[in-house]
Amino acid sequence: MSSERAPASPAQMVHLTIDGRPVAVPKGTTVWQAARQNGIEVPVFCYHDRMPPLGACRMCLVEVEKMPKLATSCTLEAGEDMVVRTQTDRVRQAQQAILELLLVNHPLDCPICDKGGECPLQDNTLRFGPGQSRFVETKRQFRKHVRMGPVLVLDRERCILCWRCVRFGEIVAGDDALKGFERGYHSQIATPAMEPVRSKFIGNTMEICPVGALTSATYRFRSRPWDNRTVQSVCPHCGCGCATTLNVRGADLTRTRPREHPEVNDIWLCDKGFFGYEFVGSPERLRAPLVRRDGALREATWDEALGRVADALRSTSPEAVGVIGGARSTNEDDYLLLRLFRGVVGTNNIDFRVETAYPQPTSRAAWGLPVAIADVERADAIVLVGCDLTEEYPILWLRVKKAIDRGAPLVIAGAWEPEVARWAQHRLIHRRGGEAALLRALAGGVRAEDGAAASGAPAEAIRAAADTLRAAPRALVLAGEAALEQPGAERVLAALDELCAACHGAPLGILRGRGNSGGAQVLGLLPDMLPGYRPLGDPSAREAVAAVWGRPVPSAPGRTVRGMLEAARAADLEVLYVVGADPASDYPDARAWEEARRGLRCLVVHELFLTRTAEAADVVLPVLAYAEKTGTVANIEGRVQRQDQALLGPGVARSDAEIFVDLASRLGSPLAVASWEQVFAEIGRMIPGWAEGARLAPPRPGAGAGRDGAGIPDGPLPRPEGALALVAGRRLFDRGTMAARCPGVRGQAGEPFVAVHPEDAARLGLRDGMPCEVRSPRGALRLAVRVWAGVHRGHAYAPRGYDSAPVSVLLDERGPVAVTVRPLGAP
Amino acid sequence: MPEPLLTRYLGQPGREEIDAYLATGGYRALARALRERTPDEIVAMVEASGLRGRGGAGFPTGRKWKLTPKRDGETRYLVVNADEGEPGTFKDRTLIEGDPHQIIEGMVITAYANQVHQAYIYLRGEFFLGHRRLSRALAEAYARGYVGRNILGSGFDLEIVIHRGAGAYICGEETALLESLEGRRGFPRLKPPYYPAVRGLYDRPTVLNNAETMAHIPHIVALGPEAYKSYGPPILYSVSGHVTRPGVKELPIGTPLREIIFEHAGGPRAGRSVKAVFPGGSSSAILTAEHLDTPADFESLQKLGSMLGSSAIIVLDDTTCIPAVIRRTVEFYRDESCGKCTPCREGTVWLSQILDRILCGRGRREDLDLLDSIARNMTGTCFCPLGESVPPSLRASLRYFRDEYAHHIEAGACDVAGGPHR
Repeated sequence: MSSERAPASPAQMVHLTIDGRPVAVPKGTTVWQAARQNGIEVPVFCYHDRMPPLGACRMCLVEVEKMPKLATSCTLEAGEDMVVRTQTDRVRQAQQAILELLLVNHPLDCPICDKGGECPLQDNTLRFGPGQSRFVETKRQFRKHVRMGPVLVLDRERCILCWRCVRFGEIVAGDDALKGFERGYHSQIATPAMEPVRSKFIGNTMEICPVGALTSATYRFRSRPWDNRTVQSVCPHCGCGCATTLNVRGADLTRTRPREHPEVNDIWLCDKGFFGYEFVGSPERLRAPLVRRDGALREATWDEALGRVADALRSTSPEAVGVIGGARSTNEDDYLLLRLFRGVVGTNNIDFRVETAYPQPTSRAAWGLPVAIADVERADAIVLVGCDLTEEYPILWLRVKKAIDRGAPLVIAGAWEPEVARWAQHRLIHRRGGEAALLRALAGGVRAEDGAAASGAPAEAIRAAADTLRAAPRALVLAGEAALEQPGAERVLAALDELCAACHGAPLGILRGRGNSGGAQVLGLLPDMLPGYRPLGDPSAREAVAAVWGRPVPSAPGRTVRGMLEAARAADLEVLYVVGADPASDYPDARAWEEARRGLRCLVVHELFLTRTAEAADVVLPVLAYAEKTGTVANIEGRVQRQDQALLGPGVARSDAEIFVDLASRLGSPLAVASWEQVFAEIGRMIPGWAEGARLAPPRPGAGAGRDGAGIPDGPLPRPEGALALVAGRRLFDRGTMAARCPGVRGQAGEPFVAVHPEDAARLGLRDGMPCEVRSPRGALRLAVRVWAGVHRGHAYAPRGYDSAPVSVLLDERGPVAVTVRPLGAP
Repeated sequence: MPEPLLTRYLGQPGREEIDAYLATGGYRALARALRERTPDEIVAMVEASGLRGRGGAGFPTGRKWKLTPKRDGETRYLVVNADEGEPGTFKDRTLIEGDPHQIIEGMVITAYANQVHQAYIYLRGEFFLGHRRLSRALAEAYARGYVGRNILGSGFDLEIVIHRGAGAYICGEETALLESLEGRRGFPRLKPPYYPAVRGLYDRPTVLNNAETMAHIPHIVALGPEAYKSYGPPILYSVSGHVTRPGVKELPIGTPLREIIFEHAGGPRAGRSVKAVFPGGSSSAILTAEHLDTPADFESLQKLGSMLGSSAIIVLDDTTCIPAVIRRTVEFYRDESCGKCTPCREGTVWLSQILDRILCGRGRREDLDLLDSIARNMTGTCFCPLGESVPPSLRASLRYFRDEYAHHIEAGACDVAGGPHR
């Protein structure tokens, strides 16, 4: 199949006549596109402008002079002097004929169909159809509305077999989720044996389905399109910041749809984006402040709760106050957090990176993409190191897929095989800890054999991948959490720099962070950074901030999350203020958190739900979710986008910003904030280029900048007999605080598991599905065994993000852990 | 009447084995081609012979070869379409079962002429005997050095792979065949802009010819174009239906239908007369006894609104109920429609439902216009020739045998003597 025809340079124009109108379009434009560009609508069903033309539905027939037959305008390239007619009797006759044929086996159940009101078949029938049918026979029948997993409902009777969904899976997502089965009038869209559909992008097929054949299980019968109010928003999940539209009916969020943003998500969304909205309306949302009285959390007034917090802050020296979180708040919330804690309280103990025990300094390895998301598809080669792309940043995969379709090779390095491995030209599955040696070998800094010996990836494969990369003029290197969340990360970073240099100066993207991490980073919710990526150590930067705030900024660098927890254990940190984060589940060492909690005098938590962290707090403040407040967020490429309020919050919940403003007043330094716009404007006074839609990508220093990491020696793993090295990865569908309250996400996540290589499974007597105990020196979990050849031998993979079995129980902030996996008998 | 060329040795015991083939001069054309002719000379000979593709469309073979770009360093393929599925057609099957080396020799010469080193035969899955014989013949040809590396010491290499279809008529359509060969669902590809000659198998230039076409090649090379033409040029008619001696008849192209049916196929059974004829498989418009003096060639049949197609002549005598025959052909296309495009997928099933109703005695007067209207709506709107094959015979039958349909509608029964249809 030819790829989408890119219009040639404007110099090569072709001139044609459509409906008597002279038209000039770039060479390579189809007649259909030429018509549309000139305001002439030709109806289509199978054609979709994000995929190459197919020509199957025959709806777009037009008359072309000198052609004996009608031609499908979606497949016909516009030619010089072509004379096209779209409104003749012959064309209208053909359009009526095709619509009549499409409708003979369509149930016409529009009154009970979700698509009714936004249905291309309905619309085209009204505009171009025959008005009545001559069909008096029996319609084709299928079993109706088949559940194809937690989110997709298939109605084959409504299907007009346009093949869009099948081609989406083949061309755009590359997951082949839905396929055509049988042939002729038995043709149907399905999965093998009608199994639940396996895809991370299936919501898009519901969007592009021109009829009600593919509908959403979570939206089904919830609303009619004309009853939905639409509100612009930004997806709060992975950090890509996909543009969305929220649909609201009354006080209910009915669905999330992608909003076209060519630079970010184009017109797509992953299924977490599509279905990860229902937590907002969960009855478990916190509705009132809670304070600990007599050992238990009890409902309180805002006045009482904030009074407690203000007292705690007033009675503690600034160095003994710490703030973690901020990646789930808006930029304006976060900015006020800084004004409160840096300016009023006077502490630099601020860090949004809750889920990391090995933070590399931002000045050395800022999180995020140094290029725009849209630029990913233009790379000539892509190296993916320790990042499970479709699990972590699915929308980026769609860009990578486009690069692959252009011929760019994908090189994958990791301790397990990501889902997209089948698209990779080179797969280097290696031992955890071997990243630096492997990357240096790829860069040519050490021999392939040495890289192989240290990493366990075959030397031949390393050499082949290195040759491939050397041949690419504009490669892109993307490294993720799995490569960098470890003691030796400084060496991994150095090796990444070496690899980028060897790849003709390829840009390096650090794919980390979730939600509004991008905003938290650019604003400087970090112990050593100020807004706009300016280091705290720079006196002029501090002065610039102080000038706007009218208060001094403390100069001593603060503590990281890990530093704060260590300080709490040593009783050096007394008050910990957690903003939209759950370190008890997510900090990669649950026991370290518990010990730290015991050392705290006061723990304050802003939350939507009573998380593990909130349960242990002294004051819990109910806050608004993303859909309940207006403000801006910044994504993984640093792009600032606005999200609008769609709903009122539950109970007396407040925005983070309101809480910070109130606390500042209580502490005697009112912040005088009138609106989010005012805060947004004030940020603009501090960060050059700050504007809606602007991209504030982190500056990328050369190698060697910054200080050393946490200073933990990374010797060989202590490995008891039969133990496996534990690697923790993220899953798109998990059962974290928010996901667990979204049936469409939770249902796809399944139960938590541990994956082991078949050889290890055989050795340890483990079978697929069997319950087992996974024990590390820090703790133990009961998980289900998954036997999986994609994980490197000698390793055990466990997913993060399952609140019922947090992998942090097993993890140790001091270094990699080895686990024993013991069967617990037959399931 | 010239001697048969392609079918001369058909039916001789052991003919499918290589020694029998060699004994009658087999593979000599190949040896001569490799030693004495350049590839371009062979292309020129085939073009001069006037050979037209025998798959149904009748595209001149030499011109097709010339359209295939021959760029250095670019892989090209030869694909032979032996997925013979057109109802009434059995000439390829007869050659494959009866004289398979002819096809293999033709393929090697064609590959040499087009400088192709990898060839595929897409063989209809139901050809069990054909598969056995062709596989054995291919193994013999490999063993004797007529296929493989350095053929007959010429330095020319060719690998041939036999690929069996899985029972889909659509895979006889050349682009669907390529999709299927590549391991995908048998859907026809979009053309234009690219034809298989330019972008075929695995997006590479591909010479795609019918199996019978291949069998003509050794004779053209052996005899030279002029001598070859003096044989007619020859063509294989598959004659079936209500005749006493059905079978493959090798005759000069343009032999009148009457001569083919009455002289070569023995005519109808005693006391019966010819009522209707499909001259080129079930895709061709049905003709009546009045048309029997038409020469069976491309142009003459086209003038009648029919076509030579795969030259499968299906003879129907006066015991035949035409609406029942048409229903059966519509059912065939309904069942074999790939489902890709709307008119073919939906039109065929609708037509067959209406025909069912008429034949069950529940027809309505307006159904005849409706049938014709649906058929007209399908004409020129389908994605590939499969759907376009339905309207011609249906519409021709409505024209020539309208009374028969009307009788079914009015009387609720069949008026054909010699037994009611089922």
